Amino acid sequence: MNQLEVKPNHETRMILVCCGTGCLANGSAAVYEALCDALQGNDKIQVETFAKATGCNGLCEKGPLVKILPDDITYCKVKAEDVPEIVEKTLQQGELVQRLLYRDPATKKYYKSHHETDFYKKQKKVALRNIGEIDPTSVQDYLDRGGYQALEKALKEMSPAEVIEEVLKSGLRGRGGGGFPTGLKWKACAAVDNPPRYVICNGDEGDPGAFMDRSILEGDPHTVLEGMIICAYAIGASNGFIYVRDEYDLAVKNLTKAIENARECGYLGKNILGSDLSFDIELVRGGGAFVCGEETALINSIQGNVGEPWDKYVFPTERGLWGQPTVINNVETWANIPVIIKDGAANFASIGTEGSKGTKVFSLVGKVVNTGLVEVPMGTTLREIIYDIGGGIQNGRQFKAVQTGGPSGGCIPENLLDLPVDFDTLTEAGSMMGSGGMIVMDDRTCMVEVARYYVNFLAEESCGKCVPCREGISLLLETLTRICEGKGKPEDLDLLESMSSTIQQAALCALGRTAPNPVLSTLKYFRDEYLEHINNHRCPAGICKELTEFYIDAELCTGCGRCRRNCPADAISGEKKKAHTIDPAKCIKCGDCINNCKFQAVKVK
Amino acid sequence: MKVTIDGKNIEAKLGETILEAAKRVGVEIPTLCYSEAFGGQGVCRMCMVEVKEGERKRLVASCTYPITREIEVQTNTPELQEIRRNIITLLYRRAPNSDYMKKLYQEYEGISVEPVDPAEKCIMCRLCVKACEKVGAYAISAIMRGTEKRIATPFDEASPNCIGCSACADICPTGAIIVKKENGKQEIWHKTFEMSRCENCGKYFSTLPVNEHVKEQLDIEMSGENLCPNCRRKKLASDIAEVSVNR
Repeated sequence: MNQLEVKPNHETRMILVCCGTGCLANGSAAVYEALCDALQGNDKIQVETFAKATGCNGLCEKGPLVKILPDDITYCKVKAEDVPEIVEKTLQQGELVQRLLYRDPATKKYYKSHHETDFYKKQKKVALRNIGEIDPTSVQDYLDRGGYQALEKALKEMSPAEVIEEVLKSGLRGRGGGGFPTGLKWKACAAVDNPPRYVICNGDEGDPGAFMDRSILEGDPHTVLEGMIICAYAIGASNGFIYVRDEYDLAVKNLTKAIENARECGYLGKNILGSDLSFDIELVRGGGAFVCGEETALINSIQGNVGEPWDKYVFPTERGLWGQPTVINNVETWANIPVIIKDGAANFASIGTEGSKGTKVFSLVGKVVNTGLVEVPMGTTLREIIYDIGGGIQNGRQFKAVQTGGPSGGCIPENLLDLPVDFDTLTEAGSMMGSGGMIVMDDRTCMVEVARYYVNFLAEESCGKCVPCREGISLLLETLTRICEGKGKPEDLDLLESMSSTIQQAALCALGRTAPNPVLSTLKYFRDEYLEHINNHRCPAGICKELTEFYIDAELCTGCGRCRRNCPADAISGEKKKAHTIDPAKCIKCGDCINNCKFQAVKVK
Repeated sequence: MKVTIDGKNIEAKLGETILEAAKRVGVEIPTLCYSEAFGGQGVCRMCMVEVKEGERKRLVASCTYPITREIEVQTNTPELQEIRRNIITLLYRRAPNSDYMKKLYQEYEGISVEPVDPAEKCIMCRLCVKACEKVGAYAISAIMRGTEKRIATPFDEASPNCIGCSACADICPTGAIIVKKENGKQEIWHKTFEMSRCENCGKYFSTLPVNEHVKEQLDIEMSGENLCPNCRRKKLASDIAEVSVNR
């Protein structure tokens, strides 16, 4: 089975080394260099072979990934030391290196190509179509995959109104969180007879654990540019701005290069592709405030003001950047535009649900086996995403909740796992789509502590302008902290609910209005856990230290000694093959024993 | 443009805010961060009202919501009363040392909460920042973010822009800005100013940079004696009296 069918008539072979952020952190740059060195002047390789550094392939858990085309081989967790073996066995002798292949954790089966794995089979790549397949710094790579054809089609075959109509018909809704129909936004902006008009790309992705926009900007910057240029043509805009987090160093680098290349090729600048359209794009580097993902705060920041939102009773499409009509869309939204124009709205609208068309990119993280970046059709269930694509929960533990939509999203419990994911179902469930963060939690998660964690994040990241958000979040945080410390009172739950409702209704911007979601969703689905903390002074998950006491179930304990050896406080004693015990006086409640017991013998009192 | 506010039919001007229209017809909407001099800020959210447009109902801040079509407004529903009670509770929790907030907390029957800092007076309404901007000094602003947000000069140091006019302290509803006046000197925002003395009554009445600032802003040369507002008024009155007698 290990013999490869190397097709002799193939002229070249391509080796794609994933250099997305996750893989880079695991040393993929060294793998790429080692490969380049090994290929240089190697006359033992029959087929002419090139190596390329690409953007994120999504399966970050198994990185660094190396793909070999056209043979369609994927190697996982490749280190620079593995390169000689890959070169010798695969490139020279046409054999697979089995130990580097993807191995299904459940069936223990090896897969030659990542395409065959469950992780990829249920995905549908639209926004991420090029990422991992191209060198993001090469405009030619983008062109080879049909890049800028949509722009050419729009400029030469369509009127601006037809472009807007096409986007409207596609049913595309903003991927940044709000879910506002993109076509309507464009139409409203084009209708305001007050030039100049502006186009903005919102790349201020700030949710903990989210890296959708980052991967697109790093791995396929030209698709974002193409989307923006098409919009400029449709609404008659003269200037565009990409607002990107300053921490996204590689994104800034690749975008800068892409803008330069687009100018050289005539996709940006005066009279684009010989048309009347003149449009240019500027990069604006954000200062690291989460709230600047809110569009009016972002506009304030571009203008050089403090990143604080204003009341949006007049939309930015009418009064936006410098008071002028402005279209502002999220990175992922822009990445969908070229596909809609090139392949047609009907094609795009055939994917997804009634109210939410197309696909959605999620960063799947937390206690799931396959963490990474996934793109699925709207309407895919949470269960499919977490169990089929994500491979289920790590270490065989129990699923408890999934948090979607970033810090101001909500926690969804197990009985809603068959919920088809789209903008409307998630909102109905008390969470939200947000920009696509998805954090999976297991039974070692205290939902009160989770709510406290997110509220704490928001307390730091609220801009602090309006009273309900600034002071309301501060009171929520104080109350939740008290409950976690075992000082909660029964009336605290009423206080949490009343204040949450005020924040939802009265806060100035979407950050504030969604900030109580972590509290309200956990109160709705995990109220018992709050009551356990307050009434019985007990944290059922064993996370809140003041309310936790661990013990070992003598029936289940096999006396393997793993917990005793690992306990940092020497609190566990017991003889080999006999039930162990924990000394509560010594125990520091770190949870190491319960997390690592293979027999589920450590329990929470 | 026909608008109803609490059942009253009124004619509103295109683009004026709900708060302005309501004030004109005598409907009281409570505010903390609003001043006619600066317009709506949308900061305190006390002025939230319910707006009904066709079938759609929603809550908006009346100080920033511009009237652009026919709407029905309710200013005092039970929902809004709960929001206002909670906002007052939150601000009392923040600024328990302010008599202004203590009074409102009683008036709105606020919920029992633990004050954060017993000495705090500031409610972050930002009227001081607006006044400073309006004067043209731009010496103070809201700094930091989230729950750490507060009013300060840059780096909490004496600002070269501050002219010691104390417009910020004068407009502050809670007396949170400290102005120390003694021996012909005035201290505010980490900076001490020499005071100028009224040539008539001898009272200290203004800092020296304020006099300079007024000259610069108005582009006029001040003539005559340096008088405090009170003596200036008296002098003007007597001048007018003299003129009318001579006629």
